[in-house]
Amino acid sequence: MNQRHISYGIEPEALAVYQALVQEHGSPLLVISRHKLVGQYRALTRQLPGVSLYYAIKALPNPEVIRILAEQGCHFDVASAGEIELLQPQLISGRKTIHTHPIKKDRDIRAALRGGSTTFVVDNIDELKKLRAYRHRVGVLLRVSFRSASAAVDLSRKFGCSPDQVEDIVLQSRELGVHIRGLSFHVGSQSLDPQAHVDAIRLCGGLINQINQGSVNPMNLLDIGGGFPVDYACENPDMDAYFTAIRAALYELPEDIDLIAEPGRFLVAPAVTGISTITGKARRGDYQWYYLDDGIYGSYSGQLFDHVQYPLQITSNDLAREPSILSGPTCDSIDIIAEDILLPEMREGDLVVGHMMGAYTAATATRFNSLDCAKIILQD
Amino acid sequence: MKEFTETLYDACGQTFRIDKLYFEHKTDHQHLMIFHNSFLGRVMTLDGVVQTTERDEFIYHEMMAHVPLLAHGHACRVLIIGGGDGGMLREVLKHPLVEQATMVEIDQQVIEMAKQFLPNHSSGAFDDARADIVIADGMDFVRGSSERFDVIISDSTDPIGPGEVLFSSDFYAYSSKLLNPGGVMVAQNGVPFFQLDEVRTTRQKMGAQFSDQTFYSAAVPTYYGGIMTFAWGSDTPALRRHDLNVIIERYRRAHLTTRYYTPQIHQASFVLPKYIEDALATEPG
Repeated sequence: MNQRHISYGIEPEALAVYQALVQEHGSPLLVISRHKLVGQYRALTRQLPGVSLYYAIKALPNPEVIRILAEQGCHFDVASAGEIELLQPQLISGRKTIHTHPIKKDRDIRAALRGGSTTFVVDNIDELKKLRAYRHRVGVLLRVSFRSASAAVDLSRKFGCSPDQVEDIVLQSRELGVHIRGLSFHVGSQSLDPQAHVDAIRLCGGLINQINQGSVNPMNLLDIGGGFPVDYACENPDMDAYFTAIRAALYELPEDIDLIAEPGRFLVAPAVTGISTITGKARRGDYQWYYLDDGIYGSYSGQLFDHVQYPLQITSNDLAREPSILSGPTCDSIDIIAEDILLPEMREGDLVVGHMMGAYTAATATRFNSLDCAKIILQD
Repeated sequence: MKEFTETLYDACGQTFRIDKLYFEHKTDHQHLMIFHNSFLGRVMTLDGVVQTTERDEFIYHEMMAHVPLLAHGHACRVLIIGGGDGGMLREVLKHPLVEQATMVEIDQQVIEMAKQFLPNHSSGAFDDARADIVIADGMDFVRGSSERFDVIISDSTDPIGPGEVLFSSDFYAYSSKLLNPGGVMVAQNGVPFFQLDEVRTTRQKMGAQFSDQTFYSAAVPTYYGGIMTFAWGSDTPALRRHDLNVIIERYRRAHLTTRYYTPQIHQASFVLPKYIEDALATEPG
């Protein structure tokens, strides 16, 4: 988990904007910046030229985000029938999707096919057998797992076959008459070290080369997953160096391999700002408690599920600070956003701003205590 | 330039230029489009799949209507399940012996939309006094009806989608009970080059309800992938063992004007390619 970054004081112009938004829409809010979202998409297309981007809808399943990314030419990574349904009102063709959940019911497969989503991911023979009835309609990717010691979220424990199983599964798939089009992997999320990605790309490239030797039906696709890090700790990491290493590894692959990636967090995290309001305060022991109208059961759910500490910004830059606790609105004692932090005295009605709150925030928010989730609005 | 690309198959597919969009309707679970293509005329798509085009619909509708009706020879009462565009009704009502054609469509809106944007499909058939239009779920209708029919035509959508229930064992079973002795049921059964299992599955499910079950075929160009099959179910094997001259005589008496169907095509359409015969000899897998 990253170190919490707190900034004190808000530029008057920015504060006026936040206040006007709360005035108009109420609090709490999650504000999507179209400008930043498009900026992230374009940055990633620049960093990964030749890689088709499939936005992982689960990070923020929001219609506006989907619309804006679709306008930019982005494709979509879906993992459920519900996610496919989010694309349909916007008339986004199923041809622009890939279904990435490795474990599916027959009903899920049929719903995906009906939505026009024909590329599926599997990681074992039993799942491959489920696709046998649809083998002339579908394209199949085999998910390979690579354990990453440095990633904040290890995605290789739950899904993926080991690299040494790949050849055997491919052989069995041929017997079943189901063609495996390529490999996919997820090395985990939020690691600033590109080595896991680089190793996985090289290993998959080697596996594809090996399997394609003498194969009449070669693999032609590598899905490098997502997990590209964003800067929750406000440390300005060298993203150019990170992506340069990944590009170099991709460059070593045979030219005829199509590349896709499934960014979620990278696209949406920096594009969303959370605005909440102090609804009450109390002095308890050595601590000053502040109660906000958003918390762990709401937009800050990612602190629990996603192991992220969002950068916070408060209105006052007063240097007189005391140990404080920022609490969420529910009755549960775990609903604490930040404790043991130094804060200047704040007043009821003051705003607390959370930055980088696009990914796995609203997506995992609950309505515990029958509290409404933060309203999501689009700006600029 | 606007285009429509079909979403049926991962590895390949077909793309149509949209020269003019006439109609687009998006509900929670369905996306329907009618557009003009300079070659094909009006094209209707549902959920990323071509349903019908003005240019080649005659092949589908003639083969699904005239083959069972002329094989039967004196069909008076015909049931059409689906077929909201009215093309099947049009072809069935061309037969002078038909006294009543009941069309069961699940969605009134489809009929209204087709009347407005695909008027050449029904070509006035909805106004024919012999047409009995029922707005109901096809499965509910065959389960609950006490009427009897000589020919049943299941003009459904793809089995992956809203038409799924029309490929179920129950649907074939209830339908078979609505047939008069000597009757026949036919059903749209997809393109076996891509969906071979659908032929096997239908053989298993429909074959359990009819003593004579087979398929006949025709190539409809915009149903991508070569020939499509029509499932055939009857308890009277003689219906598909007529001498060619019998079909020629019935065709002549019906005064049909057709563009694809001929008595010779009728006879030949029951001859299946070896890959389909081989598939039918094995269990669904």
